[in-house]
Amino acid sequence: MQSNNIHEIVVLSGKGGTGKTSLTASLAVLAGNDAVIADCDVDAANMHLLLRPDFGETFEFYSGELAVINQDLCNQCGTCAEVCRFHAIPQDKNQYQINALDCEGCGYCEKVCPTHAITMQERRSGSVYISKTKVGSTMVHARLDIAAENSGKLVAKVKNDAKAIALAGNKHFIIVDGSPGIGCPVVSSLAGANYVILVTEPTMSGLHDLKRVHAVIERFRIKSGCIINKYDLNKEQTAEIKCFLREEQIDHLADIPYDSIFSEAMIEEKTIVEIESPLKQLVGSIWEKVKEQLTRKN
Amino acid sequence: MKIALTASGKTWDSMIDPRFGRTEFIVIYDEETQQLTVIDNSEVKNEAHGAGTATAQKLYDLKPDVLITGNGPGGTASQALKHLNMKIFVDAHELTLKQAYEQYKSGNLKEI
Repeated sequence: MQSNNIHEIVVLSGKGGTGKTSLTASLAVLAGNDAVIADCDVDAANMHLLLRPDFGETFEFYSGELAVINQDLCNQCGTCAEVCRFHAIPQDKNQYQINALDCEGCGYCEKVCPTHAITMQERRSGSVYISKTKVGSTMVHARLDIAAENSGKLVAKVKNDAKAIALAGNKHFIIVDGSPGIGCPVVSSLAGANYVILVTEPTMSGLHDLKRVHAVIERFRIKSGCIINKYDLNKEQTAEIKCFLREEQIDHLADIPYDSIFSEAMIEEKTIVEIESPLKQLVGSIWEKVKEQLTRKN
Repeated sequence: MKIALTASGKTWDSMIDPRFGRTEFIVIYDEETQQLTVIDNSEVKNEAHGAGTATAQKLYDLKPDVLITGNGPGGTASQALKHLNMKIFVDAHELTLKQAYEQYKSGNLKEI
């Protein structure tokens, strides 16, 4: 398996609402059919609204466990309900029942059940899709079931599928919409990445979360560049972010002004590069800069 | 010396797996006996969370002298591995196991 010609780009923000997905989808449109798209922001997946994938192939995804009570073996002793710290085993019509929304799958009830009536079973947590987007590229994405959460496992699955498709199709890019925060799914999304695009905004929490997510990227020694979106809304804060970028030697990719085109494009289910405006050129130049950074040998 | 490598396959020609926690396999090369031992890591790979610490636990049981991997263990796993007397070499994920081992022998891999 050779992967040297595939460049994997992960887009992260730390903080929500910075414009990460709008920009990721725009880059996906600019890259066209030379990229495979991976949506790893699965808790609130919304990139499909802009890229209009066809949900071509569907696979069930199992993650974590769920306690199941065999009522024929249960003697109604209630020990399971007593030890469950998630209060997930209410008694209903004289039967103990697992509330699937509350069960965390810890397995304590299975351990204490004197009649071995409880077993832990794999839990279906959602579906993974392999789709064609409106620009003809392949997109791997997922939809979680109610009360299911994203996990490092799901992100690894989405990314590994995207990688296999990119290899098979001789594609040059994998563009990954990363999850928010700095937890397990973010760490999982960084494995094997060649470049990270950080999208931030000039607010205190924007800078705070940028610093946190940058600390994670630094641990994995991955090169990164930053886009300051809505930079003109708070120029002092923008100056502070630029100062941080210089100190940490993060590429400063672009400052994007606040523009209602973001919302207008979204309402039309389009990315900002599909509408004629100065922003289209600006995002185009970001994509060129990123490509240049990827092909440059340190 | 016992060398552990995170691997996406079972042979010298397989690629190094960039993932630490969710690596497909851990391959151990014993320099004395010149034997390769392959450890399947799929049960850790299928954990929803806590993969890094679970793989770190495995390394405690295996006690290699050296680990060669890709992006390297994350924050929590690194913290756990501090207590193990094992050198960690990283950024080998565009190499096969054989290439990675040779690069390690010639001192070209980055130690963290």
